[in-house]
Amino acid sequence: MQTRITLSITGIAFALWAVPVLSHHAFSAEFDINSPLSLEGTLARWEMINPHSWFHIDVEGPDGEVVRWRVEGGTPNTLIRNGVTINSVPIGTMLIIEGYQAKDRTNKAVGRNFVLSDGSRLFLGGSANQVAK
Amino acid sequence: MNHVFLNSGCIAAAVISVSLLTAIPVEAQAPDPIDGYTVPRTADGQPDFEGFWTNATRTPLQRPEGVTNEFYTAEEVAATEAREAALETAPTVPGTVADVHYDYSQFGLTYSQSTLATSLRTSLIFDPPDGRIPPMTAAGQRIVAQREAEALLKGGRFASAETNELDDRCIAMGGSGPPMMDAGYNSNYQIVQNRDFIMILTEMIHDVRIIPLDGREQADDKIRQWMGTSRAHWEGDTLVVETANFNGKKPFPFQPDAEVRPTYYGSTENMRVTERFSRVDDETIVYQFTIDDKTMWTRSWSAELPMKKTIGPLFEHACHEGNYGLTNTLVGARLEEQEAAEATAAQKTN
Repeated sequence: MQTRITLSITGIAFALWAVPVLSHHAFSAEFDINSPLSLEGTLARWEMINPHSWFHIDVEGPDGEVVRWRVEGGTPNTLIRNGVTINSVPIGTMLIIEGYQAKDRTNKAVGRNFVLSDGSRLFLGGSANQVAK
Repeated sequence: MNHVFLNSGCIAAAVISVSLLTAIPVEAQAPDPIDGYTVPRTADGQPDFEGFWTNATRTPLQRPEGVTNEFYTAEEVAATEAREAALETAPTVPGTVADVHYDYSQFGLTYSQSTLATSLRTSLIFDPPDGRIPPMTAAGQRIVAQREAEALLKGGRFASAETNELDDRCIAMGGSGPPMMDAGYNSNYQIVQNRDFIMILTEMIHDVRIIPLDGREQADDKIRQWMGTSRAHWEGDTLVVETANFNGKKPFPFQPDAEVRPTYYGSTENMRVTERFSRVDDETIVYQFTIDDKTMWTRSWSAELPMKKTIGPLFEHACHEGNYGLTNTLVGARLEEQEAAEATAAQKTN
């Protein structure tokens, strides 16, 4: 009996996990798996556009020169549905972004994690099942 | 046929109707409302489908290998959903393809952060009874092989803008169908209806289906469209939508894990889709579809997924306007080709 249940649970795991969150495009084609980076800077602009949002941050280099980076994030639709607006992350917010640089070596990256200056994770999405209202 | 869904959150199974699995085609079967439920009416007296709905689901289209039951128990689904919710937020391994992505949960994109149209089904497909897409015809196999050969001849997915997938190019995605499937995220719909038309707005890529309900004939078969041409009628309280005249360039279903992309293993321009919408309670529309494409498959096949009421409004998905990704992936591919060519040249020189 125990064996039967174990097999059944295994079957469910495979079955239900078979539908992943699908990306709009192949990120590993756009960004370089061999170029991980960590950027620390201030938010200068946030494009809440589809199919992906883009964060523009100003990063100060060792020489004091400020360089603008563009960092790709998720679709804005789910954020808007969860009450997040363009003003939810104010311009000037200090962000630490871990991600991967674009293959063309320009100042573009995908943001793996967005972290605030106090070390907390910038959590934009909803935390619970939405219910109809 | 059984219709078993879970009310989101409480994992309480609602057995809506039960009849024996027989050879009766799905087109003849309309799910009954939950006991005592009165289907709401519009001012025109039609069953009222208006509102915001989602078909986001963890249930796969085809029944996985090794699973023989048509349904799981509510307890099995609840346990698995809890485990998968934990997996969704588990960290990925740095330096892997999976890690080259933004964190889904930071943007509210995991399934556990959305309204789910949960079902106890082990597969969306219920006909054939094994829950699998039926075998292809010999002609269908030749068509798929030809598609793959043509994709290779053109250099694969990243050879040019034209060889990228339809969703990369913001031309078409899976949510709007028909048939309408979970798009992975933004799987939300708005339905508006009057006496003569029903409108279905799809959030993902912002497609709009405006479907005549006035009894007009199907469009001339010379008219070919990405989403076909649809005509609707009522069968009791069930809305039946019949679609033909596809252009054949967006085969259904899509093969998402093919090594050579774009590669599809789906339908032809001869596909006909019959969709059936039945409202069974305030929170749920039972959505069924039957695929009939005798060029591709040896028999028709049918699937069912619930559409669950969700919050509105829908937000514009102006895909082209922000589609920097297409340019970036093409630039990345050209650079990789250049680097490979330079490495080869250097080897020859040495």
